[in-house]
Amino acid sequence: MRFIDARHDRWHRVDGEDGPIPHPDPQPDRLLTLEQWHAVRDTWPRGLATAVLLPNTLDVDTLAADLRGAQPRLSLLVLQFPKWTDGRAYSQAHLLRTRHRFDGELRAVGDVLVDMLPLLKRTGFDAVQLRRDQSVEAAVRALGFFAGHYQGDVQQPKPAFARDLSAEVQAADSGAGLFAGQGI
Amino acid sequence: MYQYTEFDRHFVRARAAQFRDQLRRHLDGELPDEEFRALRLQNGWYVQRHAPMLRVAVPYGELSSRQLHQLARIAREFDRDYGHFTTRQNLQYNWIPLARAADVMDLLADVDMHGIQTSGNCIRNITSDALAGIAPDEAVDPRPYCEILRQWSTLHPEFAFLPRKFKIAITGAGEDRAAIGWHDIGLQLLKNDAGEIGFKVLVGGGMGRTPVIGSVIGEFVPWQQILVFIEAIVRVYNRLGRRDNLYKARIKILVKAEGQRFVDAVDAEFRHILEHDVGGAAHLIPQSELDRVSASFRLPAGIDPSRQAATPRPAADTPPAYRRWLERNVQAHKLPAYRAVTLSLKRAGQAPGDATGDQMDRAAELATRFSQGELRVTHDQNLLLPWVHESQLHALWLAAREAGFATPNIGLLTDMIACPGGDFCALANARSIPVAAAITERFDDLDRLYDIGDIDLHISGCINSCGHHHSGHIGILGVDKDGAEWYQITLAGSDGSTLSGAATPGKVVGPSFAADEVPEVIEALIDAYRRERLSGERFIDTSRRLGVAPFRAAADAVRRATAYTAGAAA
Repeated sequence: MRFIDARHDRWHRVDGEDGPIPHPDPQPDRLLTLEQWHAVRDTWPRGLATAVLLPNTLDVDTLAADLRGAQPRLSLLVLQFPKWTDGRAYSQAHLLRTRHRFDGELRAVGDVLVDMLPLLKRTGFDAVQLRRDQSVEAAVRALGFFAGHYQGDVQQPKPAFARDLSAEVQAADSGAGLFAGQGI
Repeated sequence: MYQYTEFDRHFVRARAAQFRDQLRRHLDGELPDEEFRALRLQNGWYVQRHAPMLRVAVPYGELSSRQLHQLARIAREFDRDYGHFTTRQNLQYNWIPLARAADVMDLLADVDMHGIQTSGNCIRNITSDALAGIAPDEAVDPRPYCEILRQWSTLHPEFAFLPRKFKIAITGAGEDRAAIGWHDIGLQLLKNDAGEIGFKVLVGGGMGRTPVIGSVIGEFVPWQQILVFIEAIVRVYNRLGRRDNLYKARIKILVKAEGQRFVDAVDAEFRHILEHDVGGAAHLIPQSELDRVSASFRLPAGIDPSRQAATPRPAADTPPAYRRWLERNVQAHKLPAYRAVTLSLKRAGQAPGDATGDQMDRAAELATRFSQGELRVTHDQNLLLPWVHESQLHALWLAAREAGFATPNIGLLTDMIACPGGDFCALANARSIPVAAAITERFDDLDRLYDIGDIDLHISGCINSCGHHHSGHIGILGVDKDGAEWYQITLAGSDGSTLSGAATPGKVVGPSFAADEVPEVIEALIDAYRRERLSGERFIDTSRRLGVAPFRAAADAVRRATAYTAGAAA
């Protein structure tokens, strides 16, 4: 899991005085809103690495054409947690990974708390921008409690009944730090 | 009973360790109340009127003697020496200080127990028929499927923060004793003509402010596909369920609003998972896993299925109290020489479903001595011994009587369902326990109770409906009016059992009543039934045949308070 420091982020929003500029110019490392992306998509150069910020109400199937192929048009998708207890983005992430085979970065932003980390990881996020008051150290610890889970997930598509659990139990038995898993 | 594997044990210990870490951060001030709240809820910790409340998961109601002894110990050492068995087959404590919460979770983990998903907006602990695996009318034993579903839903990463709570109930019997129509998902196991096993799937039932009975979304989903089918339902709900209004957030509202579009969305999602998703088909249940889990649910070692019933008719000089107990508290079993025996937790002086630490120990001892060390928590808030040999009934009766569990009132008026109500619950508008106590006191005569016969009385202290008032033949709902406690009475609701008929919410019997009127109103309703009943009719039959009007007139005749002017809208 990568922890994003917003001050040193490669990706930049394209905002004017009144919010997002309706028709941004094609430049590298732009993080567009979904509206901006829709506005420029047809003229946007292929091969230009681009990020899009998605509302958590979006049906991610509508992005399918931009995610396919060896070089998808979108390289980073930013999913939002307006409140940390709003779990819609977990389903978006799961579908982007398992159904649309999206291989780029999936980033969680918004009200992102350390105790969400296990869920984020298991549903396919590989980057998070924690809420400002959250501790990276606590977030890393939150990832370390479980050796394995019952149901499959993006990290481990096989449910417990399709795995050899003795190895997981052994790993857990052999001491602290080997609870390599996830969980909340 | 399901036997924990090493993996399962590691899992609950890991959960307890994770909770301890969260609790420490909370107590250290790193994790504010509001954020700790959702985390503790998913481990069963509410904060109630007096102290935190802990709801311990009793998966599909199955308990061992060893577990119940541990629950007794926790009651004694951490609570004020009692616990409350709930309609969802769980156990609640009311007085454990939060600072000791992590220690309790460790003690639970020691006996393969936890509080995972007994609360919060997630898939809750799964409930089932208290007679699962022993009922004569059972087509398929639901317990292995309950366990497989329990494991699948436990810490599901995608479905931990749904719009609202999500409850699943399963039955494998002809009679619905699990109220499946009242659940977000209700599952009925069926065996078709070819001998194949599948699920009839209901979706969108629920109580609360808008009572709805679930509708059929799958007539026969093969058992192998059930995890995937439920994943499809819950994903559609997670994506589309309302989050703008707490009272419209349950799946029942989405199902009602979308109708056939909801069904189509689930069908499409189901196909997508199986045809496209990485890992989608991996959740088809293999025969080997069903076999592995089913092995835990074979007959206990001490049970001999070949024993024939020898049931001698009780002699003419059998004490009437014993005969009544045989009639009310003893049920038929799929094995002819065995019986299911209910230990009544409904008696004067204690709230419905409550048990002291000592009573829990006594019940556990009875289970060890008479029932292969196994008990069930029933939907009606009693305990049940599932493996009693008929030759032991008299000895059990004597022992149960001594321990205070032999009240022969199962299915009768005083065997009522009640939530903890305003005495404990921070959500409640009104108290339930004093109402239950007043009714128990008024109807303390057994002859009278027997004359009244089978009846479901359900009491909820607020519209959240933990006391299932909607499904009572008589329902009592606490409502708040200008800071005072009032009670709305409903008639002829049904949980879906054979006695009660197709699941349906009760109809309101006029404006609410004042607290001190309630026992008299109940008596008036009962008297109206006794006047009007035809031969062989039970309360539910008469109330359904006549409708609300005559009962309303009877209830109005004993009104004293000015409920009409206080708020006739109720």
